[in-house]
This record gives sequence, C-alpha cells and structure tokens, in this order.
Amino acid sequence: MPKWGMVIDLDRCTACQACTVACMAENNVPFVGQERVEEGRLMQWQRLLTEVEGEYPQAITRFIPRPCMHCEDAPCVKVCPVGATYTNEEGVVLMHYGRCIGCRYCMVACPYGVRTFNWYKPEFNEVHRTYLNPDVPLRPRGVVEKCTFCIQRIERAKQEGKKVGSEGDVVTACTQTCTGGAIRFGDLEDPESDVSRLSKSQRAFRLLEDLGTNPKVYYLKEG
Amino acid sequence: MERSWRADKPLPSALSPLARTTPVYFLVVVALAAVVAWGVFVYVSQQLSTGLGVTGMNTPSYWGLYITNFVFFIGLSAGGIIVAALVHAAGIERFKPVARIAELLAISCLIMATLFITLDLGRPDRFINLIRYGRILSPLVWDVIIVSVYLIISMSLGYFSSRADLVRCLQTFPRRRGLYLLLTLGYTDVSPQALERDRRILRALAIVAIPAAVLLHSITAWILGLTKAQAGWHTALLAPLFVTSAIVSGMALVILVTLLSQRFFRLNIEEHVTVGLGKVLALIIPVLAYLLFTEMLTVSYAAESANFAVIKEVTLGRYAPLYWGLVVGGLGIPLFLLAVPQVLARARASVGSRPVPRALAGAGVAAVLAVLVFSASRGTTLGLNVGGDTTEFPIRFGVGAGLVLLLLIVAALAYPRPEATVEVGLAAALVVAGVFAERNIIVLPSLMQPLIREPHVSYMPTWVEWSLMAGVYALGVLAFVLVAKAIPLVEVEEEEPTQAPGDERLGRGLR
Repeated sequence: MPKWGMVIDLDRCTACQACTVACMAENNVPFVGQERVEEGRLMQWQRLLTEVEGEYPQAITRFIPRPCMHCEDAPCVKVCPVGATYTNEEGVVLMHYGRCIGCRYCMVACPYGVRTFNWYKPEFNEVHRTYLNPDVPLRPRGVVEKCTFCIQRIERAKQEGKKVGSEGDVVTACTQTCTGGAIRFGDLEDPESDVSRLSKSQRAFRLLEDLGTNPKVYYLKEG
Repeated sequence: MERSWRADKPLPSALSPLARTTPVYFLVVVALAAVVAWGVFVYVSQQLSTGLGVTGMNTPSYWGLYITNFVFFIGLSAGGIIVAALVHAAGIERFKPVARIAELLAISCLIMATLFITLDLGRPDRFINLIRYGRILSPLVWDVIIVSVYLIISMSLGYFSSRADLVRCLQTFPRRRGLYLLLTLGYTDVSPQALERDRRILRALAIVAIPAAVLLHSITAWILGLTKAQAGWHTALLAPLFVTSAIVSGMALVILVTLLSQRFFRLNIEEHVTVGLGKVLALIIPVLAYLLFTEMLTVSYAAESANFAVIKEVTLGRYAPLYWGLVVGGLGIPLFLLAVPQVLARARASVGSRPVPRALAGAGVAAVLAVLVFSASRGTTLGLNVGGDTTEFPIRFGVGAGLVLLLLIVAALAYPRPEATVEVGLAAALVVAGVFAERNIIVLPSLMQPLIREPHVSYMPTWVEWSLMAGVYALGVLAFVLVAKAIPLVEVEEEEPTQAPGDERLGRGLR
C-alpha cells in the first residue's frame, strides 16, 4: 500500500505561485475576489506563505508553498464529530462533503491552517466555468474543503494502469506545474522514489514537527 | 389524601402572578417577541440565504460570538443545578425559595446554548448527522451526549420539584386543566407517600446532577483545551477554570434573575436568601481569580512564544479592555460588594455625612480612575515600566488589583450605602458580564494567534451576529416570563393545619 507524500525544495521555489493557480484550476476552487480576500475568506488549497524576517537592510523574505500536510496523526480527523474528514488507506486526508455539518472544528484543530470554508456559495466566473474539472465535485455552501493530493488523478491513474509519482508519471497539479521543479510527489513507502529519498535528506524538515502530527509533506531547507 | 384549595382562602402569594397580569407584562412580552421575530427574520433572510459569510468570522477566526455564547450559556446553566443541588441534595432549606428559578434557568440556558451552536453550523440542515454519524472520539460528540443527559436530569429535577405545585395549580385554576395535566404528565397523586417519593427521587437526581454539571463544563472546556493547534487553549487548567467560571456566573445569574423576578412579579423572597447566595458566590470568586492568575503567571514567566503571544494580546493587546474589565469589574468589585459590606458600613459611619471628607473621597475616586484609565491606555501600570516582559504581567496584575481596591474603598466612602439587595444584584450583574468577557478572551484571541501566521487577522461580529444573539437572549427571557405565568416561581407555601413544626422554616421566606 503506497503512502503518498510530498517534498518541497525551498531552494528551488521561485515563489511564482503557479502551484496555487494550477491547484485552483484542477480542483474547482473559486477565485473569490479582492473583497472576499480582505474579509479573510480567501480560498486556496495550495497557498504561498510569505514570512519577512528581520528589518531592512537585513530583511529576508521567505516563501513557503503550503498544501495540506496530510498528517499521519491528523488532529482534524481526530476532532471531526461526524467523520466527514478521514484518512484513506494511502494516507491522504480527505473530505466527505455530503456529511460535513460546517462546525469548523477541524479548521480550529489544524495547526497549519490549511482548511478553507465555504462562507458563501462558491461562484465561478464565465471563463472559469469553461474549464471546471468534471473529475472533482463542486462543494456546496457551508462545508469545509481542503487539498486532496489530487486524489482524482491518483484514482484515475489506477484505473488506467498508469504509474503515480515518478518522473513523467501522474502527479498532483502543483507538482506538474511547478516551474522550478521544487515540488515532488510520490510514494514515501517506496525506497526508490524521489520523495522517500529526498525526505531523508539532511535538509529535510517538516512544519511544526514538535506537535507530533507527523506530516507527509517535507520541506528542504534553503541551502 | 387529595388536598384542595378552598375558594374562600386568599390565593397564596406564590400563585398570584399566575392569576393576575399587569399591562406592563403584556408590553414586555410584546417587546421580547418583537426582538425574537427580528432575530428569526435576520436568520432566514441573511444567514440562511447567504451563508456564514454574513458573519464576521473568517480565517483564522473560525469561531466567533456564537461559540462564545454557547460556552457562556453552558456555563450559566450550571448555577441552576448547583443551587438546586444545595437545596435538594445538601438539604440547605434556606435557599429553597430560589430552587425553582434555579431549575428553570438551568433548562433554559441549556436550550439557549444549543440554539447558539446551531446558529454556528454552516449546515444546520445536517444537525442530525451528529447523531447519525457521531464519532465517539470527537469532544463535540461528548458534548452532545452530556448536554442531552444534563437536559434530562435538569428537566426531571424541575418536574419532581414542581409536581406538587402543578397539582395545586390544577385545582386552583380549573380552566387551565389541560395545561397542568400535560405538565404533570397526568401524575396528580399528592398523597404524603407520593410526595415523599418525589422528595427521594429529587435527592437522588440532585446528587447525580452535580457530577453531570462538572462533566458538562469540563467537556465544553475540552472542546477547546484538547486542541494543540491553538496556543492559550491547550492547558490542563482549562477545565477547572471553566467549571469555576460556570459556577460563579451561574450562581450570579440565579441571584440576578431572582431579584428581578421578585420585583417584576412581586414575589415574596426574603432578603437573606439572595444575600446568603451572594455570600456563597463571594467564596467562589477568589477561586476563579486564583485560577486566572495561576494561568497567567505560568504562561508569562515561562514566556513560551506561542502562548506568550496570546497572553500579550489578552492583557495588553486588543482584548485588554475585556481582560481588565473582568479582573476589575467582574471579580474585584463584586467580591468587594459581596464580602465586606459590614467593613464598608463601619468606615462609612466614621466619615459620616460631613461634606468635606465626602468631597475628598469623591476626588479620590476621580484621581484613581484617571490613573487607571491613563495607564490602561498607555499599556503600563502607573507609568512604571516594570522589568522585562516575563515579570511585567504579575506585577501589573498586583499593582492593578491594589489600585482597584483603593478605588473601591474610596468610592465606598464617597457614596451612601444602597440597599443590601441592590448591592448583591449589582455584584451579580457585574459577575455575569465579567464571565461573558472571560469567555470572549478565552475563545477569540487564541484563534487570532495561529501557529502559522495568517495575513488577515481580525474579527468583529457583524450586525447579523448581534441581531441573532439578541434574538436568542430575548427568546430565553420570553420563555422564562411565559413560564412564570404557568408555574409558580417559588414553591407554594404549606398552610395545612397538620403542618409539622420543622416545615415552618421552609415557608418563612414566603410570608
């Protein structure tokens, strides 16, 4: 049984945010517009975090692409009162949109802030409607949604007998589009895979590791 | 042996609100109903049709005023059960006149809490999923279970403690026969054996109710406290803090509602009942202050970054007015009003009504207030910058408390002493408001200090949230006011000639 994971090399990240856009297109995530963003209702499953350290002229800006960490011990799964969020056999944390009651307990429990909530009915502009992905369900108002490691791609690849994770195979939308080749996706259980090799690198770390959530997304420190 | 109320006898005072209704009552009911209607209108036309987007909640302030109120009302419902338990389990007959009000409050506050959690759901239409798919590992499901159990216990308590009175109403008001048959569930046996059995059941229920109340408030705390993602919540102290806050605010509410309904419905409840409850309250307030102080000292001394950021936001940041409001107005002043009225009275007597010392005392009040406001606005205490961040807070706390004490003493000297019940009522109102502030400063600031920083951090409830909150509050008051016309708010006095001498004590408060 594979364990899907991701490695993001911060040295290779150019902060172009193509991953964010590709994710939104792949997963039917609506562009909410400036007004909603100012309300704090931005919806992005893969978001670029910016962190400014120090002050000019010593200031350094760090960029961290942040998908769901797909924790082995996911706090969100633990607290969900109705089992609307769950970890599948391959370690991917998923949502059951039809069951979610919208209590947002999972969002409160997620240390990484990766979950987004449908504060309004999702709206897609005319252009976006022409490229909605038929493989991904549209979410109703009032439920929580999140990064799925492009589960639809993984499932389709299985049906079509394609391989997932290595060079040229099926990968997540963010991995596929990453301009600097910073994002890798694959099977952490497979010792031959890029992700399992890179996750053991000296530069590898995970976000908020002390919390004991065991994320399956690894980062490689800027060298 | 069926007893019946003889027509030639005057109506007992406890039953008079049921028989006579003033125009003011109708006005109050209409006003409350209007607020409820407004709440329903806003809920349907705004929140149900547009979604939770009409609230001020956002990322990372996923929870807001609804959850704050949920926690607050879960807490308030404790007071009722605690007071009822004092009467039925511990046998403290002195508080018997407020037992009925306490039980009604326990039930209505619990229902209001449930309404608030429903308002918070993005998909209220799927509320039933909590039962259909309830996962026993989720603290939210523990809460669903304990709320149900607690509701059953408090309703049973209410039923068995009021059954005899309901039967009496059945006999007194034959026109409302249907209502009272329904309320008594048709069980109208008031023979001494039946009443004795009621008393035994009540005692057992009251004993079970105490651990249930503790569990209810602990579980509500654990919904927050078991979450490691939120600095400031993840402390083992949260459950004891919640239980204490619950008892403090709940008892204060019982006092407040008793005093208000006494005036409004002209009930006969003697002063010593509420003043006595105030004394019990004065014993618990320091426990709450102690727990808050322990938490603050632990976090600020260790200065672990995430927790420290939260406590800074609470004590010096945008929540400082609520925090210091709680410390001063919600704990300090009420404690002072409840615990030391005699000391104050003596001090007042020494000042007397001479104009010069009184004017001096008045000036003192103004001066201390000015210093407090000034230092709060500058984020310092007395303009002193005491030590580094780690030692600053306990010192600030101490200096602040000292100043407040000074303010109170001076203020007490400056003004004539109000009636004892006014003093107790004021203290109770301040405690209830203070604990509401406390609920906010526990729930909100932690959410605003996420471990992974968010670009957008602010939460201000919108008019929709305020409207729905007002609607639920009005609904709670309306329900209470309506119930007061159906069920006597104090136990009806025994006036049987065969009355045992021991029972006389019970009825004393009703004369």
